[in-house]
Amino acid sequence: MEQSESIAGCGIQMETGPALEKREGAWAAVRGLLRNRYCLYGLSVIGFLLIWYWAALYSSISRFMPTPDQVFNEMVRIAGHKLAGKTLVGHLWASLRRVLIGFGIGVALGVPLGLIMAINKYINAAVKPIFDLFKPMPPIAWISLAILWFGIGEQSKVFIIAIGAFVPALINSYNGIRLVDPALYDAVRMLGGNRRQELYQVTFPAAFPAIFAGFQIALSMAWGSVLAAELVGARSGMGYIIILGMKVFKPELIIGGMIIIALVAGFLTLSLNYLEKKVCPWKRELT
Amino acid sequence: MSLEKRVDVMNSNRAKIVCEQVSMIFQQRFGTVNINVLEDIDLAVEENEFLVIVGPGQCGKTTLLRIMAGLQAPTSGRVLLDNEKISKPGPDRGLVFQKYTLFPWLTAMGNVEMGLKLRGVGKTERREIARHYISLVGLEGCEKSYPHELSGGMKQRVGIARAYANNPKVMLLDEPFGQLDAQTRYLMEQETVRIWESEKRTVIFVTNNIDEAIYLGDRIITMEGKLPGRIKSTYRVDLDRPREHTDIQFLELRHRITEETALLL
Repeated sequence: MEQSESIAGCGIQMETGPALEKREGAWAAVRGLLRNRYCLYGLSVIGFLLIWYWAALYSSISRFMPTPDQVFNEMVRIAGHKLAGKTLVGHLWASLRRVLIGFGIGVALGVPLGLIMAINKYINAAVKPIFDLFKPMPPIAWISLAILWFGIGEQSKVFIIAIGAFVPALINSYNGIRLVDPALYDAVRMLGGNRRQELYQVTFPAAFPAIFAGFQIALSMAWGSVLAAELVGARSGMGYIIILGMKVFKPELIIGGMIIIALVAGFLTLSLNYLEKKVCPWKRELT
Repeated sequence: MSLEKRVDVMNSNRAKIVCEQVSMIFQQRFGTVNINVLEDIDLAVEENEFLVIVGPGQCGKTTLLRIMAGLQAPTSGRVLLDNEKISKPGPDRGLVFQKYTLFPWLTAMGNVEMGLKLRGVGKTERREIARHYISLVGLEGCEKSYPHELSGGMKQRVGIARAYANNPKVMLLDEPFGQLDAQTRYLMEQETVRIWESEKRTVIFVTNNIDEAIYLGDRIITMEGKLPGRIKSTYRVDLDRPREHTDIQFLELRHRITEETALLL
């Protein structure tokens, strides 16, 4: 047991024993490090930063390429210093609020409609041809129309985000129900279930993972859409910071904004994954 | 009245489930192609009899079982359960599926008590009943496991307990051990006999395996090897349980069935 214990909590497996130690010595330690996942992750990050420094200092784009520490310093600066009346946290919250509202509206409309379409073939026949026409339109394509309809304020941005979230939420709920293993209905009917029980005891729980996967896609669509919405006429939000960075020739604002967006989006996705494990601890069985 | 006749009358009185002239025609390509899957099936199963239907793949045996389950309506003919026509699936018949078909979002306990829940049995009572059947199939300690955490044999134990827990008049098993490895399959056959002997039911068991059929059945019905599906012949198995696969009478019967069905193993 002791021989295979990991070193310093980072999971390095050492081959020990006096003979081996003498023969292999330092080389074994290096090899152990190279086999360690986290060590390799660290090397990857260091390599990336080195390339970034090189690009910022020596490459042909170096004029508009800040170094990592310049980006970091700029983010620290605007965290305490207001841009257009808001600090970094304020801008982040402005974007996040739009995303959450738009996501909420899109999901609240998309999931029930998808469920009803999958359950009722008449409603499906009525809605599907129109939905199929709108489905491939990128949400960004709605920007101009949204501004004409709702002006340049919050409404038009939320509208675009809601459309971005609506489509995947609907598609996943719809497919989730249609792909339920028909044998499960046989099983519940043999056990004495009526039509309503089929719906509540089989259809919804069986489709739940697919619906939840729809939430995840909807959320990433919402993030993509908020940036697009803010790139066109906004006075707040992470999209505004990025556009501002372009206007005032401050690429560190752009890159910093991009990184923060990625971090927040990643955090949201992780939270949803965690939530999914909590609310459906059973693995989806693919047969 | 001759002795044979009298036995027949007695049997028909005790008949639990009866198929009368059951035929099934599937239409394909918008009705232009008809496939005769079953033709004139006449069958009576006595109360508490263990009937095994043997046939190769695609001989209509699963379709026959689904008709008895009420999941499919025959094109002509009818199936009676206690002299009442079967027209839809219902909890008086317990079906065990070839592909387990457990509810993956429910634990073993949740699966077993599903039928009772659907019929509105109170929580404490259905827990108690479900626990009884879980222990009957030898799954104590696995109540909280989800189906994906169970092996194939254990999944099918849950499937059997789920069907049993509803207290059905007839158990219908559709190649229940077809997906198991040989050792587990043999073990499950032993378990099936044990469970059936401790809580007798009328059982209709579909399989493609002659050994399994002889090991389990009171009576074996073989199907024709090609469509339309018809009953070929009937065998009584008068061996004491538990049976031995190497018993001379077992082997003789196996030999006879194999000779006569030709297509089968």
